Amino acid sequence: MPTVILLDASLSMTRPIQFIDGIETTRKQLAITGINAFLDHLSVHSKLEFIALIAFSSLYEERCSFTRDYNVIKSELKNIDDYDKTCLETAFHGVNQMILGEWGNNTVCQIILITDGSTGIGSMSLKETLTLDKAVGSMPFSLPFSFPAKLHVVCIAGANEPSFIKSRPLYQRLIDMSGYDGSIQVLEQLQSEADVITLFQKLSEEIYISFKGVLKCGSLDSKIILSPAPVAYTKITDFNSQTYNVSTLIEICGFISVADVGSPMAISRHLILPATASGKNDLTSTTIDLTDENSIDEGNTPSFCVLLHGALKVENMAALVAIGENWFGFVYSWADSKKKSNLMLTILPPGSDIIPWLGDLNELATTDMFPAEQAGTFPLRPSEKRSYSQNGVVWIRQAGLQSDIQKILRHARKLPGKTQQFYKELNRLRKAAVSLGFQDLLNGLSHIFERECMQLPDSAHPDCALQLQHAAEMLRKTQSRDIKFILLPLQTNYNSS
Amino acid sequence: MSYTLPSSKMYPANHKTVFVLDHTPYFGISCENVIEFEFLKGRTSSFIPMTPISKSLWTSSVESAVEYCRIIWDLFPTGKLVRFFVSDTIAHVLNSWNTNQQSVSHILNGCAHIGIPPSHSPLRSTTPTPDYTVLHGLRAAIEGVCEPTEYQIEKMKTDGCKVLNRCRVICITSARDNESMKRLEEIFLTVLNQQNKLVAGNDSLLPIDHCHLVIINTFPINIESSVNNHPPKVLSPLLTTEVHSIKAPQIPNKLSSLILHHYDLASTTVTGIPMKEEQNASSSANYDVEIFHSSLAHTAILKSNASDSAAIRTPKEGLEYDTVTLKWCTPRGVTGNELQNCTAMHRITPVDVNSRPSLCLINFLLSGRSVMLEMPRKAGGKITSHLLAAHGGEIFIHTLCTARSVLEDPPSISEGCGGRVTDYRITDFGLFIKQNTLVPIKIKIATDEQKPIEKMKERLARQTKYWPLTISSTLIFNLKQYIDPLPTLITKEQMTDDEVFVCKKVIFNLISLESKMEPLHPQNTGQRLKGQKREEQYKAMWNELEAFIKCNLHSENHKLVYQCLLECHKFSFDEDKTTEKVDLDEALNQLDNIGAQTKDENAQRASVIRATTDSPMSPPPLAIAAPFGNKHSNKGGSIYNTQKSLFEIFAVQEKSKIRPEFAGRLGDSLMAKLYPNLKTEDRGPRGEGGMEVE
Repeated sequence: MPTVILLDASLSMTRPIQFIDGIETTRKQLAITGINAFLDHLSVHSKLEFIALIAFSSLYEERCSFTRDYNVIKSELKNIDDYDKTCLETAFHGVNQMILGEWGNNTVCQIILITDGSTGIGSMSLKETLTLDKAVGSMPFSLPFSFPAKLHVVCIAGANEPSFIKSRPLYQRLIDMSGYDGSIQVLEQLQSEADVITLFQKLSEEIYISFKGVLKCGSLDSKIILSPAPVAYTKITDFNSQTYNVSTLIEICGFISVADVGSPMAISRHLILPATASGKNDLTSTTIDLTDENSIDEGNTPSFCVLLHGALKVENMAALVAIGENWFGFVYSWADSKKKSNLMLTILPPGSDIIPWLGDLNELATTDMFPAEQAGTFPLRPSEKRSYSQNGVVWIRQAGLQSDIQKILRHARKLPGKTQQFYKELNRLRKAAVSLGFQDLLNGLSHIFERECMQLPDSAHPDCALQLQHAAEMLRKTQSRDIKFILLPLQTNYNSS
Repeated sequence: MSYTLPSSKMYPANHKTVFVLDHTPYFGISCENVIEFEFLKGRTSSFIPMTPISKSLWTSSVESAVEYCRIIWDLFPTGKLVRFFVSDTIAHVLNSWNTNQQSVSHILNGCAHIGIPPSHSPLRSTTPTPDYTVLHGLRAAIEGVCEPTEYQIEKMKTDGCKVLNRCRVICITSARDNESMKRLEEIFLTVLNQQNKLVAGNDSLLPIDHCHLVIINTFPINIESSVNNHPPKVLSPLLTTEVHSIKAPQIPNKLSSLILHHYDLASTTVTGIPMKEEQNASSSANYDVEIFHSSLAHTAILKSNASDSAAIRTPKEGLEYDTVTLKWCTPRGVTGNELQNCTAMHRITPVDVNSRPSLCLINFLLSGRSVMLEMPRKAGGKITSHLLAAHGGEIFIHTLCTARSVLEDPPSISEGCGGRVTDYRITDFGLFIKQNTLVPIKIKIATDEQKPIEKMKERLARQTKYWPLTISSTLIFNLKQYIDPLPTLITKEQMTDDEVFVCKKVIFNLISLESKMEPLHPQNTGQRLKGQKREEQYKAMWNELEAFIKCNLHSENHKLVYQCLLECHKFSFDEDKTTEKVDLDEALNQLDNIGAQTKDENAQRASVIRATTDSPMSPPPLAIAAPFGNKHSNKGGSIYNTQKSLFEIFAVQEKSKIRPEFAGRLGDSLMAKLYPNLKTEDRGPRGEGGMEVE
């Protein structure tokens, strides 16, 4: 997942430290050494991660945009000047802007805040901005971020330093506000450079864990890696808030054509990469990089994933998979460019009833497993039609009412040919008018009919006048104020046959 | 992973909304907003003056409230409930929280029964003036929101915890002045507090945790009201009130702006929809259609780039909200045949449901076509940000991912594990996929019964008990012309007696082929196993068949098939090892050896033999000649068959005549029984016999 390194460049970072062995350095220097170690670790184990660098004090500056070329960041680290005081609020604002601009609001990101344990002074200190009354503040605090994000705070300080003890609860609060599990990293004692390096390496190990699981279809299975690794998801509805974890067993439940699946909402997408059965090479190190020598042998060992991919692609189908307790996804063939085709997992929001046109995903099976009358077809239709397919009456804008009346008059001029349509439209309008208590309309329409009658051209059919007159009279009668009443055509010699 | 919950998001007030409509005599008066009929004017010869048509205050308030519900129920078919209380001398309750009473038609029916507001009693002397007031409705509304909804009951039952009972009351009424409006709010608060006291201790009713009272004070257009607006005001921890004082024809617009806040909705204007002109079908003009949907559909585009979002977001003319303008993108070809990277999906409803442009867009979508929406970028160019599509008669806006993807430069699947294997049984797995295509199942209650999807998993497990991944690792699945339909039948959960019989027949057929020493011709392998001795070929086939059937002993009938196999073919298990049984691994091992062997052979043959010996008259490679599933049609499929000489055909017929005797010679009493059947049945693909002559 994309990571922003948020480096504190405030003056307090330049405080000198003398280690027991006599070496003198600064916190900033230690931080830079640590970041270098972090990047070195990444370039060996997770070289496809995107990393960006932001330096901040009371302002922030984007020093490196997201890149997989970690040397760019390393060289940039050499050019970081010292600025004034720590102001986290501004820095988080910058992070928010940067990630939204690049990755949108759906990609899980990581933010590594590297600081020295002091949270700033004055009005823009963390303590102040956190406690600031929301009513007064012109801008709401930038946490939680507008995208899923894990916040890790790394303090170049000893755990027993007073400034850190004071700021620890504040950091914890930030992590809680961010909404996902982050961490606070600190050394027991700030004793040597090597300790700092270990701290950063450990962080790198901890936060880039690849997801190893099994893709299973009945008795067939394949070890897989998901890239990027999926994260737990908290679903909040009006009445529930529940956190769901992706199971390491991804089990195929059946198949649905891609056209029937539609394009449902996905909370994330992951490449499914078949993993070696033996695990002889270090899996933690390979996220999507599988091009070392071992892969030659692996390439010749049949994998269920490849078979599945081929068949799904040929058939243009998707596999419905269970990825956790009452949580589903779709596996299908996906091509980034025309040439490189892949097996992709789309994770749906948790729950079985999340795609209206597929119905409850727990209630799917093949046609031959149940009696014919129980088997339906996709897409499922809701029991009630939506207003836009109901031909309902809305007269909020005058045009709506005008066009309804015009329609009736159009039919009226074509009587007796359009007798059915005339009365159908008339009853629709009358019913709506009764429901809305729109009596003026009933009387008015009666008037309009009478006028229409008098203006009929000589060529008009005699039934025309009779029906208009009949409708006009009926509309005035009180019984037409009853919703159940249906205005019927006048039986005449012209239409009785 | 813990996620600290923004609890404000849960138990929203919009779960329960109550409309209180004033039905007092005052609401019977006209809005004085005359509806124009242009189409009548042109033709008038002024002999009958047209009586002006104008809605009453009542009609205006009912249609506005109903429109509010139309939008809500289109967008949220479940979980967002609205009740109607109509107040005159008493409170009339039009519907309950019950889901089947949550529909526009139910409300309109109720309104029809209530009828127009009563007129002031002219005979003032005889009876005391009845007490017409909106307070009856407000009081009933407070009682109404204490009744739990199905969702609240469900939540309390499953989690056993207290639910927060938040609600909103929208009251359309008319007050004389600010003073009486203030008094109305105070009375409401008093009643609310009383009701909560009353409800305490009553398990079947819920106290109100918070109520949002929205009062719409309305009046005809020719009147100036002395009631002022006031923004939301916290009257008590339990009650927030706001007042909007507007002319009656403005109520719908006011409610449109309020609804966006109440349900967190947003407006999108789809611009540039090409439509045929009504009058002139050959020309087309561009129209705009405004739709409402959850504001979350916009989150991605509005948050990502400030300058881009400023450009597409404009205030809606004459209204109090912003609309996001996105451009219609005429679809090319069939869309929907690939899975879009869709990050959000929400129902939509047109704002002006009956206008011609709206109907045009709606019908276009309902007919099954989908529309991409584009958003211009400041930096230049444009980006496809949304997809409008109908699924099962409902229209959705899909938010497409416009941001950069972390899956940049992914490797192809062929670069990973198993990527270099080229003989996967893709076609067979494709058939397996088709056989396991899901459809929705209508469940007949019985909740404790196993869910269909669980049964599916069992079915998949059963059908894949023995499923070699590659062509070279199996023999029997390349001999479909001999073993079909046994694989399909044996993997079923239950087998009928007929199906057992069919399976047995397959076995007998193989026995008879073997006894005649006919070579087996695998279909897909692209080589003809010439180098392999027939005995070995048969041995491998029997062993694999045994392993396959043994994996599928799902019922007594399945066991009958297995037994039949054991009885018919003598397995020399102890030849290879001391144990009597061949376990699956062993069988697979053997198969792998065969595979390896044939592969090498194949490699040589492909380059050397075919190049040197194949003539135009040679049969094509089997992989091409015998397409999958063609087991019975080989009479016309291969050029080879069409070239059969009369003698060959004759010889084949002769052979089939003497065949029954052959089977009888096995001398088994069991066999003798089935013998007559063998005689009448199809003897399998005899076309293969021709090949033997080669």
